[in-house]
Amino acid sequence: MSQISVSSRDRLRTALEHREPDRIPLDFGSTNVTGIHVSCVAGLCRHYGLATGPVKVYEPGQMLGSIEDDLRAAMGLDVIGVFPRKTKFGAPAADWKEWNFRGLEVLVPGDFRTRTELNGDILVYPQGDETAAPSGRMPVGSAFFDIIVRQPEIDEEKLDPADNLEEFGPLSEEDLDHIGRSAHVAGASGYGVVGSFGGTSFGDVGLVPAPALKNPKGIRDVAEWYISTRTRRGYIHRIFERQCEIALANLARIHARIGDAVDCMYVCGTDFGTQTSAFCSVATFRELWFPYYQRVNNWVHANTNWKCFKHSCGSVERFLESFIEAGFDIINPVQCSAAGMDPAELKRKYGSRLVFWGGGVDTQKTLPFGTPREVREEVLRRCEIFAPGGGFVFSSIHNLQAGTPVENIVAMLDAVHEFNGVSHV
Amino acid sequence: MSDLEQLREALIVGDWKTAAAATRAALADGVAPLTIVTGHLMPAMDEVGRRFECEEYFVPEMLLSARAMKASMEIVRPLLAASGAQPVGRVVIGTVKGDLHDIGKNLVAAMLEGGGFEVIDLGADVAPEFFIEAAAARNANLVALSALLTVTMGWMKTTIDAFQAAGLREKVKIMVGGAPVTQQYADAIGADGFSDSAGSAVALARKLVAA
Repeated sequence: MSQISVSSRDRLRTALEHREPDRIPLDFGSTNVTGIHVSCVAGLCRHYGLATGPVKVYEPGQMLGSIEDDLRAAMGLDVIGVFPRKTKFGAPAADWKEWNFRGLEVLVPGDFRTRTELNGDILVYPQGDETAAPSGRMPVGSAFFDIIVRQPEIDEEKLDPADNLEEFGPLSEEDLDHIGRSAHVAGASGYGVVGSFGGTSFGDVGLVPAPALKNPKGIRDVAEWYISTRTRRGYIHRIFERQCEIALANLARIHARIGDAVDCMYVCGTDFGTQTSAFCSVATFRELWFPYYQRVNNWVHANTNWKCFKHSCGSVERFLESFIEAGFDIINPVQCSAAGMDPAELKRKYGSRLVFWGGGVDTQKTLPFGTPREVREEVLRRCEIFAPGGGFVFSSIHNLQAGTPVENIVAMLDAVHEFNGVSHV
Repeated sequence: MSDLEQLREALIVGDWKTAAAATRAALADGVAPLTIVTGHLMPAMDEVGRRFECEEYFVPEMLLSARAMKASMEIVRPLLAASGAQPVGRVVIGTVKGDLHDIGKNLVAAMLEGGGFEVIDLGADVAPEFFIEAAAARNANLVALSALLTVTMGWMKTTIDAFQAAGLREKVKIMVGGAPVTQQYADAIGADGFSDSAGSAVALARKLVAA
């Protein structure tokens, strides 16, 4: 990894401290929620005239493409990520091999194993075990894998929280070595660093079906999980309680290994907002999630210099006070298109206490379907709102999806550079 | 509390076992199946929708009420068909091609059924030809399309165009919904209506079939 000016990391840290940096730090690719679809990464490489070998898929569920040093420099990014040893489907992110992804050559982990059905749907297997039931499906017409729900019959009398904890456990030495190596390389790069270590997402419905497990047990159906947050709260509490204990022990070992090589930690991606409303009341949030978030965040703040990163899509303004009280420092993706998420109002009410990591441009409408001019105008407006006083890391509202025109992505990046007063590339 | 009061309460609190038992008890007492639906299920689900709209209820509560409503409908539906009772409308619903997200679609389907519609739920990842085939075969007067993804919402337009090409566009009203979908998008692709929530979808559907 090339050494760059230390200013990227300083820039991020300044922004995270709610001070205004020399320019807005820019993130794509440091997490699973600020990523770019592999097809768009390939398009960006071509646009910037970079060597276009197959792009590595670092998150095969959403098919997010790795942003390598040359592209990161071309895009003017400031942040990189540290990821767990294994991907969402349980295969180690290693032994990369070429895979033809519907006409695009990409690199996937050696144990990423798929089967294409007669109708063209692609199935992926947990831990690369083709004898297990597949845990992901990419239908024709889609560009990423949806998790296949494998819900065993539920016997209320026999429900055991341990069944929903199979995917949580002490990190292996191999896992720790991987995180240690990745964090030290990242920490020495001069970029700001986000650590995604896994294990602290409480009830994230993207993970509840356990796509990495061969035979998931417990409550694994997403609708049943939502229902359980209403009808089986004791069960959920016991899962979260134990998950939290495991996570804190793991975090202590991770921190002992990497120290402050990362600037912030991706804590949880559980979505509490919908486009127009919420998945639960604030009261439910405070009863069911708040205590565990607070324990994790308090531990992080007491023992490290990391900031705590919370992702939640949708209309979440009502939760922000509770997020802050629970110890979150950063909110993402700042879905300004959702109800009650007016950017200026968010900045006014929470801007001194929460870092807005995202919110830079809408990915439901403007970026995929707008013109480059519309993209530029929206990006400049958002920067004007969010940048003053720091507390802003530019990223789009969630991952850049397949089909997003490359010229719009470039228009977005150019607009941030224009706002920053830098001529880039 | 009478059976029918129990049924209403069970639907509102999402207790499917009580809903099923109260439905059976009401039928045993001689209450007409159509009365159970129009006089009790529909008002109860309207109340559930109202609570959702005013954010007293959220997705988990809606799922529970939908489950209770289905438990009741499964008992009543065959009797309704035998009695020749006509639904408010007949709707074919599904998530469009390439998109496997179905929680929102399922909630809309449940609310429509609770609103007195006959619902033909085609599931998720539904190609245009299947919507057309089902609408024609079941003589539907309403089609409801759901999409959660920007990469799949284009299939809404493809599906509407396919109805046009098949000569069926004038026979059905088409409503659309899903996180990235807006009224503006619905207008642009030639849909007849857009709803941004399961509760308001019922009111929209009633308006469309009455037009």
